[in-house]
Amino acid sequence: MYNIIDSKYERGAILKVLTKNENICVECHQCEDACSVAFFKAADREKSSVRVDRKKTGEINLTTCTQCGVCIDVCPVQAISRDKNGIVRINKKECVGCFMCVAACPEDAMMYNKDLIEPFKCVSCGICTQECPTGAIKIEDI
Amino acid sequence: MIKVNNRDQEFIHGMTIQILLEKNEFTFPGLVIKLNGKVIEDHERAQALIKDFDDVKVIHICHGG
Amino acid sequence: MNVEEMRKSHKRLTEFAYQTGTIDRGYNNRTLYINVSTNEIKEKPVSQEMKEKFIGGKGFGLKLMWDAVNDNTKWNDPENTIVVSGGPVCGTTQYPGAGKSLVVSISPATGIVIDSNVGGYFGPYLKFSGFDAMAIQGKAEKDIIIYINGDDGEIVIDEAPDEALDGHVLGEQLTEMYAKDEKDKKNISVITAGSAAKHTYMGLLNFTFYDLRRQVTRLKQAGRGGIGTVFRDKNIKGIVVRYAGTKGNSNKPANFDKVARTGIKLHREIERLDDNLMRIRQVGTANIIEVMSAHDLLPTHNFQYGTHENVVNIHSNVFRDNYLTQGLPDGCWFGCSLACAKAADKFKLKTGPYAGKLVTVDGPEYETAAGVGSNLGIFDPEAILEINFYCDTYAIDTISFGTTTAFVMECFERGIINKDITGGLELKFGNKEAALELLHQMSRGEGFGPIVGKGIRKLKQYFADNHGADYDFLHDIGMEAKGLEYSQYMSKESLAQQGGYTFANKGPQHDEAWLIFMDMVNNQIPTFDDKAEALHYFPMFRTWFGLMGFCKLPWNDIFPESNKYQDEPAKIPEHVQNYVDVYNGVTGFHIDKDELILQSERVYNFQKVFNLRLGGGSRESDIAPYRAVGPVTKEEYLSREDRYNKEMIEKIGMDPSNMTLEERIAATREYRMKQYYKLMDTVYARKGWSDQGVPTIEKLQELGMDFPDVIEVVKRYL
Repeated sequence: MYNIIDSKYERGAILKVLTKNENICVECHQCEDACSVAFFKAADREKSSVRVDRKKTGEINLTTCTQCGVCIDVCPVQAISRDKNGIVRINKKECVGCFMCVAACPEDAMMYNKDLIEPFKCVSCGICTQECPTGAIKIEDI
Repeated sequence: MIKVNNRDQEFIHGMTIQILLEKNEFTFPGLVIKLNGKVIEDHERAQALIKDFDDVKVIHICHGG
Repeated sequence: MNVEEMRKSHKRLTEFAYQTGTIDRGYNNRTLYINVSTNEIKEKPVSQEMKEKFIGGKGFGLKLMWDAVNDNTKWNDPENTIVVSGGPVCGTTQYPGAGKSLVVSISPATGIVIDSNVGGYFGPYLKFSGFDAMAIQGKAEKDIIIYINGDDGEIVIDEAPDEALDGHVLGEQLTEMYAKDEKDKKNISVITAGSAAKHTYMGLLNFTFYDLRRQVTRLKQAGRGGIGTVFRDKNIKGIVVRYAGTKGNSNKPANFDKVARTGIKLHREIERLDDNLMRIRQVGTANIIEVMSAHDLLPTHNFQYGTHENVVNIHSNVFRDNYLTQGLPDGCWFGCSLACAKAADKFKLKTGPYAGKLVTVDGPEYETAAGVGSNLGIFDPEAILEINFYCDTYAIDTISFGTTTAFVMECFERGIINKDITGGLELKFGNKEAALELLHQMSRGEGFGPIVGKGIRKLKQYFADNHGADYDFLHDIGMEAKGLEYSQYMSKESLAQQGGYTFANKGPQHDEAWLIFMDMVNNQIPTFDDKAEALHYFPMFRTWFGLMGFCKLPWNDIFPESNKYQDEPAKIPEHVQNYVDVYNGVTGFHIDKDELILQSERVYNFQKVFNLRLGGGSRESDIAPYRAVGPVTKEEYLSREDRYNKEMIEKIGMDPSNMTLEERIAATREYRMKQYYKLMDTVYARKGWSDQGVPTIEKLQELGMDFPDVIEVVKRYL
């Protein structure tokens, strides 16, 4: 049998990943504003790649991209790949807007917004971490 | 006698939904099962006890290719 | 010769420039007309009425054909037209299975219109290039290639002498020829036939898509009815479309968010549930091989039996574990997360002109595994894959090939034909080498192959006229109706399915109705009225997909957890609503589930009248061969003796212990045919047709399909 799977596991030795500690998050939502302003010029949490929510059970839920790469293998046009730093990035020009990656993401960190015909995701830039008052989110070398 | 999909079938004491499925060779993965009109979830099959005169529906959601 | 040299040999016949970028809410509002006799190319407008009454896809195909042909047009007249059309939803990337198109033409097998559905990228790219349908009429003098450049708004017709004919070769050649580089290959789609299409009446069309990960051109098929034969009769070698820049809103939907949310919802549902339901992503439609076998429904030895001791060798997991590459996004259009387009990669062919080559085999679909597998007594997965491959590349419909070869094998086994007649081929059940050699002969155009390739209707007459065969017996065991071979489900014990198959407009294809489980296992349609109601709703619902560009699989090969709590779980109501939402989201219309049925009913009745117009569609053509209805032979009766004896007692009211086997067979037959005719009467009445199966003027008026030329046709028969 023949096996061709993309570079899901070829993430390289070390890359910068946004990590989370829900225990010390104070739900200020500054991270969401920082992200959406940086990438979409508007403070709109629906356009943030990091999310602060509550689960149905009441606990705080932080959504962050782990750069796992499952989305790479799901994309029918190979529009998702790792850049030279190992970060998983969408080539918006190639993207055909099917959103299979949104459903496949194990962290729910691939984002859909009705104003955008391509999905968007965290690129480990760290802008959100600079606004976090408690260090609940951090960029770490993983 | 019980009814399975509106057909008479012999009642056997201690028959659960799970046993009925095995007996009738209902192995299809997409089943909707109702016991006297109440939906039986997958995890309930082994406990759901059938009594005499009960009405069982085992609807196969299969529509070919 | 490389593709550059092949391209240099092209002789330009005509060029046509047009304006691109015309889509609005799923429609370009124009169609493309190409005449390959005169090399005329022109745009035709689409009227509001055409969109209201015919919607798109098969509806547009039928309408364009109605206007193009006359009452006496034969499949090989230049007036015969091939129409490809997707529909308003075709090309949507968010909702699984939204890239389908319908191909329509007069069939060499049936003489009436065949409609055949197909995936691949051609339909969406044709639409994004600027056309809601493409109609091709006439006949070229020499082999031509038509190239639609949807990026630059140019269409050319070239004489093309050097490219191959076979699908897998031509598909690769033309993809490479018209692509700028490797990455651009996904922007090309090709329609091919194959070398066997001209020698048979069961030629198919391949629609390609380029697989970026496998780096191979994949083949999806418009299989039924011999449209590939018409294509090659017109001396068309291939049609190429290029369109770069497909985006999520290429259809310019009215409500992008509504479409996207519905699509993401279904992507998530498939992700959660497919592995524990039909496992489409693992094995495609082959998942039901073992299901059919378990219920004694897998056609075996020309539909005599429903299973076989060796069937375990071709269960879907055998294919999954040994041949089918797993884990790839195998959709036949972008965004299909149901991913049924499985393939066996680096498969080594053992026979024929490509023996020794490592190829990608697209399949096996259920129909292929049953048709060229169990129905022929072949239980070798590699033989099935090899037959699958050669059928695709030679352009032979695996369903018609399977059912026809099964008929031939039974004739051989019963001594009706012999090796003198078959040219030395020992066509017994299970002889995979002989089956493959038939295919190779069809490609070469020599030997017994092309005779078999004319299909069962012609073969029955041929064997009776030339070899003293008993025509009535051949008619009983030859599984065809209207001239088209039955697809691969046993209808013998399901009265509803006998009707579902045999009453279908195009011929016995299961796309109209698949009622076997609802009928036999679920016992949900016990009365004649119940069956007639099902034979109204399901054909109307299922044929709606072909007006739209939708694939049927995401309707009911996956369903949400909440489905079991619905009133009619067999209809998968949430998914029906999904389809309504996506259609409304793209077009901006506001239909509901009832309007959906009405849209379909209009086109369905139009197709029925079109059949009548072409001299078909009679009540007689709706009568099944007896093999589809009950046991023809002693072996068949004895193989299900308990069931048939029980029916004798409970339904017929006779005592089998007092009857000989012949008497029981005869009594069963008389009873079952009576039931069949009663079903036919009930169904015609439910459809609003006369007792001869003609749509009444009242019905056509009610539907708004009472066009003068339509009424003129039905008046001849009412």
